[in-house]
Order: sequence, then structure tokens, then C-alpha cells
Amino acid sequence: MRVLIIEDDREMAAFVAKVLKETGHVVDVAHRGDSGLTLARAGDFDALVIDRMLPEKDGLTLVKEYREGGGQAPVLFLSALGEVDHRVEGLKAGGDDYLGKPFAPSELAARVEALGRRQVSEAPVTCLKAGDLEMDLLARRVTRAGKKIDLQPREFRLLEYLMRHAGQVVTRTMLLEKVWDYHFDPQTNVIDVHISRLRGKIDKDFGEVLLHTVRGAGYRLQA
Amino acid sequence: MNFRLPTLVRTTTFKLAIIHSALFAVFLVGLLVFLYVSTVVYLRGEASASLDAEIIELTQAHRQGGLVRLNQSVLERSSVPGSRQFIYLLLDDEGRKISGDLSGLPGGIPLEGQGRVVFNIDYPGADGTVETRAAEGRASTLSDGAVIFVAYDVDEFVGIIPRITQVVWTAAPIGLLMSLIGGVIISRSAAQRAEELAKTAEGVMAGDFSRRAPVVGSGDEFDRLAEHLNAMLARIEQLMLASRHVGDSIAHDLRSPLTRLRNRLETSIAREMTAQEAEETLSLTLAEVDRVLATFNAIQRLSRLEAGEGGKVEKTDVGQIATELAELYQPVFEEAGLGFNAAIGRNLVIMGDRDLIAQAVANLIDNALKYTPPPGHVRFEVARGREGAVVLKVVDTGPGIPEADRARVVQRFVRLEASRSEEGSGLGLSLVEAVADVHHGAFTLEDGGGPPDRPGLSATLRLPRG
Repeated sequence: MRVLIIEDDREMAAFVAKVLKETGHVVDVAHRGDSGLTLARAGDFDALVIDRMLPEKDGLTLVKEYREGGGQAPVLFLSALGEVDHRVEGLKAGGDDYLGKPFAPSELAARVEALGRRQVSEAPVTCLKAGDLEMDLLARRVTRAGKKIDLQPREFRLLEYLMRHAGQVVTRTMLLEKVWDYHFDPQTNVIDVHISRLRGKIDKDFGEVLLHTVRGAGYRLQA
Repeated sequence: MNFRLPTLVRTTTFKLAIIHSALFAVFLVGLLVFLYVSTVVYLRGEASASLDAEIIELTQAHRQGGLVRLNQSVLERSSVPGSRQFIYLLLDDEGRKISGDLSGLPGGIPLEGQGRVVFNIDYPGADGTVETRAAEGRASTLSDGAVIFVAYDVDEFVGIIPRITQVVWTAAPIGLLMSLIGGVIISRSAAQRAEELAKTAEGVMAGDFSRRAPVVGSGDEFDRLAEHLNAMLARIEQLMLASRHVGDSIAHDLRSPLTRLRNRLETSIAREMTAQEAEETLSLTLAEVDRVLATFNAIQRLSRLEAGEGGKVEKTDVGQIATELAELYQPVFEEAGLGFNAAIGRNLVIMGDRDLIAQAVANLIDNALKYTPPPGHVRFEVARGREGAVVLKVVDTGPGIPEADRARVVQRFVRLEASRSEEGSGLGLSLVEAVADVHHGAFTLEDGGGPPDRPGLSATLRLPRG
């Protein structure tokens, strides 16, 4: 993917660029709000990573203007103001995701990855597939190798999110945010327990393992 | 050169006293002027009315008894000794004097109608001097052509002026002095109380955070001001203590994980490691760093909350939050070999912040999960309490917290010795407390009601309807 990073803190910008390059993205960097907007409009980017606080033009205004000008690329806000209120503000301004500093590189990589793929699956999907695992979103039915799997509503949503992001690393925080809508980290690894339950249902009696643990990062559903 | 007014002049006491007496002086002068004017006007009005009455009376006497009777009346009246109230003059139809006090009519007087004239009249004094006084008179021509003239002594009234002036000069200084003293007394007491408040503030600025402004108990503005100032000072003191404590605690709590981290890195450098060992070390290190970061995030969140930032007020279904959290944690309890049951009432909507409430409740459940050994049991109850408040209760069968420590564990970073080995930042319950505060609710810890060796802990978060 081509990713544009707009971040005034040069060290942070370099760090983000390094992380994204290492995960196989092509990266451009701008350090100011106004030049960032020009670059975002001119280039064909798959995702934008934008700091909230920028010189010349702050991140919120930048994204608002970018969206008003017809810009489509998904936006990930980076900010030291990692509080819920600020996150909501960012999303309202046209952002797609929000990541508070400090963050782990794996978290950043996972979120950018998740953003980039979103565009592709813009058309309404009624059926998700990963190997022999199939999910019918209309009938709310899950089967693996033709065998029906019974899931609780929340397990269904968890699996749906994993399948929508099949092949990508999904962090625990992302799952908590997107599946449960919680914006804090519980002290106990509640997500691990839910994942292990889900694993018991979709992986246990089948040969190939689909739901992988990615060490130090999260999980990945991959056929 | 910098001229400074004497301190006295710059005080509020002085200014108020000056303003007070100046206002009083203006009032006094106004009052006296009014008194003088109204007295003179009244007296002259009276005199003028009796002048008219006198003329009518004399005219009647003339009508009844002719010139003879009139002359008799005039003679009787002007001969009353000591009476200078009226001055008379009776002239015949040819203008000659018949009787009276004057030698002739003053000039310019109309002989008909109500016209009056002010003229001077000379009185011969006992010792040969002549006293000149002002008089006002009116003439009336009678039916047979005779003229009667009656006047009254204006100086009688003009003489009041020095008397009133004298009163003014005697009363004004006394009044001014009184008002100055009154002003000083009144403003002194006000300034003194202001001074007390200023002294308190000075003391606090100098670093004595336990200083408080005196409250007299009169319930006046100064008392209210003092009370508010004291409340503010109490809050400042509390915050100061808290931030001092937090500083110490952060240093203390972050030192151990950072030290561990450092030692691990150091040994890793010193030692040849297989790839697997290296990966293991690195992921342990990563986990440690993540914990430190999580602690920082928790500190920041807590600080924001305690500073009064955040905390939305919107319709929030606590029942739904509780149900979702129960669902989130149910499998975790099962994995841990603990019993967990939730009893969640219906219609538990309050005004509050969903995210904050969810986090507070998650912290309580986390805590119960962490400190309850298997095969224990955790009960989660949510219901309406008194006055429509929603009461969330998490009761475990763990070791509980001794009563003496219960108030302490809510403070930041406080972890009881028994739990030092457990993971956690020591901020969990502080956050619950802060969330309770944001919602004007309460957070209490009680005995869980179990057997003495395992009393358990009952944590209650009470959130008012809002």
C-alpha cells in the first residue's frame, strides 16, 4: 500500500515510516498540515496516517478539507490525546481509526493494514470466506467444511471481524474496540479467553488451524 | 522618585470613611437648606395670609362704623405695646394721614388690588439712633375714598437666617465628625475581615497549606467568602498532597519494572543466546514495557478524570453495560475455575458516561477475578437503590481487605503487601473512585460476609440518576 504520514515530530514520523516500510508499505512523509493536504490530494494513497496536532493546519481541519475535496483514502489519527472524547472528535471529522501515543509498532501496523483493506471491501458483502470456513452474514450462519458451527452473538461478531480482516494481524485492543466497543484495556486478558473459546469451535475438530496467535501483536485468521 | 501615598490613605477603610462622611455632609447641608427655605416660605406665607385677613377685618370695621370706627380699630391695634407684627397707616380721601405708625405711604404702592411693596422703615431707637428694617405692605382704598395700609416686618423672618446658620455651623462639624467616626468603624470592620482573608492567602502562598480563613459565624458575605476560600484551600491541599504522593508512587512503582527490564537487557548482552532464548527474552521485555506504558496511560486517564476533564453526561443504560461486561468476563471466570453469576435488574438508565462506567465496573470485576482463589465465587449485582441511584455490587470470596486498609487502597498506587506480587498498577480502584466522583456517586468497600479466614470483599459503586 502507499501510505502518507503527516506528522510534525520528525522522530515520530521516522519511526512510523520505518514500521510501515518494514511491513511492506510504500511511505511518503509530510511534516506540515498544509503541505500534507496538498500531497494527500495530489498523490494516490491507500491510507493516511495523520497527527492531530500539526503546524499550519491541524489534523482535524486537514481531514475535513480533504474529505470535502472528495478525498477517499482512509485516515488513521495519531495523537497524544488518546482519550475517548478526542477519538470521537477525530472520527466525526472524517477519520476512520484513532491510535493514541504511545503505541506499539505492531498495533500501528495492524491498524494501517486493517484500514487499507477496508476500501476494497466497500461493496456490501453477504458472505465471508477463509479457506473452508464460511460465514453467511444474512442468515447469520457459520460453517466449516460444510459443517454448521453454533456461535453466540458476540462470538459471531468476533469471527466476523477476524474474517473481514483475514490474513491481517488484529490486535487485542482492536478487537476490544471494534467488537466490544470498549476503549480501555482490561487488566486480565479477556480477549485471549474469548479467542480460545472461538478457536475451540472453529479449529478444534478440523485439521488445519485457521486462527493463529501472532506473538507480541495479536491474532490472525488465515487459511 | 516614587511618591507613595501614606498607607492609611490607600486603605479601603480610609476611602470608605471619606466617602461616607462626604455623602453625609452633602446630606446635612441639603437638609439644612431645605429646612431654612421651607421655614421662611412657611412663615412668610402665614404673615401674608394674616395681612390679607387684617385688611379684610379693617374693611369690615369701616363698613360697620365708618371712618371713625376704623380709626379706632387702627389706634387700638397699633397701640398694643411690644407688638410690631403689623404696621398701620390710615389716610383720608385726600391722602392726609389720620392715624398709624407711618408718616406717609411708601412710594409706588398701588392703591387697589393685591399689589404689595417692600420698603424700608425707620425706627427711632431709645438712644437716638435709627434702626432701618424691611417691611412688606399692601394698601386698600375704602368706599369713601379713605386708604388703609397694612404692612408686616419682613426682618422678623430674615432674622431667622443667622439663627439657622448658627445651627448649621454648630451641627455640621459634629455631624461630620460622627459620620467620619461611623465610617471608620464600619469600614474598619470590613477591611479587617478582608485583611484576615488576605493574611490567610499570604500564609498559603508562603507554603503553609494548612492555613484557613477565620469564619465568624455571622453568615455574612465575608463568612461566605471565607468558607469558599477554605473549601478551595482544602481542595488545593488535597491536590498538593495527592500530586506529591503520586510523584513518589510513580517513581516507586515504575522503578521496579524498569530495573527488571534493565537487568534483563544487561544479562542478554553479556550472554550468548540461542535464537529461541533471544526471542523469549525479547517478548518478556516487550511485555514488561507494555505494562509500564499501560501504567502511564492509566495515570494519564486518572489525572484527566480527577482534573475534571472528560465525563460525558448522556443517557446511559447501566444494565446494558453490566450485561455486556458480564458476558465478556463469564468465560474468563470459567477458565480461572471460579463461579460467576450476574443478577442485573431492568431499566437502569442514568445520566452518565458509558466508557467511564464500563471501565470502572471492568476494574471491579478484574479485581475480584485476580484476588479470588479457586474454587471461589464472584457475585455481580446491579439494581436500583435509594433515590433512583443505580447500585453496582461485586462480591467475591477472596481474602478481602482489612477494614483499616479499605480507605487506603483507593488511593493511587496503594497496593497491599499481600498483592505486591500480583500484576497491576495499583490504579484500578483509584479510577473507580474517580469515576464515582465524576458521577457524584460513591464507591465503598465492605466485608464480603464470608467466614473469618476468607471474608471476601464487597465493592459497591453507587451512581445517582444524574
